[in-house]
Amino acid sequence: MHKPVSCKLEDGSYCIDLRGWMCPYPKYMLDPIFDKLPKGGGKVTLLVDCPSASTDVPDVARKKGYTVKDVSQVNDGEWQVIIEY
Amino acid sequence: MNTIAAMGKIIRDTLYEPVFKRAWPIWIGVLAFAVTNILMASFARGLGVFPQMSMWGASILNGIGIDVDAPFKPYQVTPVHLDVHSMINFGILLGVLGAALIAREFKLRTDNWRGYVQGFLGGVLMGWGTVLTPPCNVGGFGTAVMALSLSGFLMAVGMIPGAYIGAKLLQWQSTRAIGMIDFKDDPDRIGDRKLKPSRRPFLGLFVFLLIFVAVIVYSVYDMSNFAVLLLFGVVFGIIFQRSRLCFAAGFRDIFAARDTKLLRWILVAEMVGMIGFSILKFNGYLDSNHFVFPTGINSIAGGFIFGIGMVIAGGCGSGILWRSAEGYVRHWFAVIGGMLAAGSWVLLYGAKVGEGWLYGDPVFLPDVYGWPGALVLGFGILIAFYIILVLVEVKKKNA
Repeated sequence: MHKPVSCKLEDGSYCIDLRGWMCPYPKYMLDPIFDKLPKGGGKVTLLVDCPSASTDVPDVARKKGYTVKDVSQVNDGEWQVIIEY
Repeated sequence: MNTIAAMGKIIRDTLYEPVFKRAWPIWIGVLAFAVTNILMASFARGLGVFPQMSMWGASILNGIGIDVDAPFKPYQVTPVHLDVHSMINFGILLGVLGAALIAREFKLRTDNWRGYVQGFLGGVLMGWGTVLTPPCNVGGFGTAVMALSLSGFLMAVGMIPGAYIGAKLLQWQSTRAIGMIDFKDDPDRIGDRKLKPSRRPFLGLFVFLLIFVAVIVYSVYDMSNFAVLLLFGVVFGIIFQRSRLCFAAGFRDIFAARDTKLLRWILVAEMVGMIGFSILKFNGYLDSNHFVFPTGINSIAGGFIFGIGMVIAGGCGSGILWRSAEGYVRHWFAVIGGMLAAGSWVLLYGAKVGEGWLYGDPVFLPDVYGWPGALVLGFGILIAFYIILVLVEVKKKNA
């Protein structure tokens, strides 16, 4: 339960590393994340390492009306979810 | 060569990808769970994992010089490789490990000390919930409801508010953690994000080879019931890992996220299981007392404590067990906490599960209402619960 690493990848593109946060934390974090992201729109890459998060994070984001651009495995037991906001 | 390549492609597309790579749709998971549970009950017993873990806890306490009996009467302290019930748990662990490696979903997931303490405390609450209810979510609710034990329905009554409290804590922690981020960290800390080839799927095949060897060894020693229960455990492990079937999540998200899809599917599995268990019990293939537990305030109170514990630990009894094999270190602490709390019950309470002032008498619904009445009541409660869950979801959409 460490502080998630968060960074700016380029203008309008951000990344939050939620690896180490088991389910359902990533899903519960979506609302606070969208509140926290710099205003003006862009895309956010979320890194998760809980298998369920690779399906429920995109599902919840879609239900909230965001567009999920990509869900792909990046390592053993690790996925990235790219969401436009 | 072309033929072999074409065969490989067919196997990859129709077996490896849908079974071991893509997550199973949840309805396939719950139906496979219900059918496997009916089959295992017709062979030996229904699914439950915590009484065995309580026995392991009592064994550990005995090992360090604390003399204590295991809390559940049918589960006496026994070396684990000679305990037939423990075979189910080992099967689940190995099945999950093998499936997770093949799917490239295994990872050693470490946490910080706060996560481990929370896992341990969640395990302790679940351990005490298990001996009070009894037993755990899958056994005390899932299988008990299928087996028409009134205790299973009452456990759910306690588990819903318990899981809600746990979920609120998790949501508070989520908001607090995101409140700390500022997007000012160095992007290099994120690391490489390109999937590289891995040998882990072969390790997964090796795990299944080990299971095969264990099955042969038990069969050679004339302990084929051990071998069969180990295999049933493996099947449950594959079902849990591939469909991510999590009973804790089902109860957790009803009110906390107003997401009831998972629990509604679990209720469908309960209905299928109830038909199967009723046939087995009606015909006398299965003892009518099988998975019928002490019923009363203890069922509700135990469910409540268990509900909080399973959510903060990150899984119910089977959930912490199978996620341990996926590499979650927090769940190792939860398993240890649960084993020790439940294993020390006789020392704390002075009697075994089901004995004394704390526990009501077991209530097998057909004994009270006859078979038609019990089935109408059992299905009626499940259908009513299903409709309430749909209503909860509709209210969210209107909100």
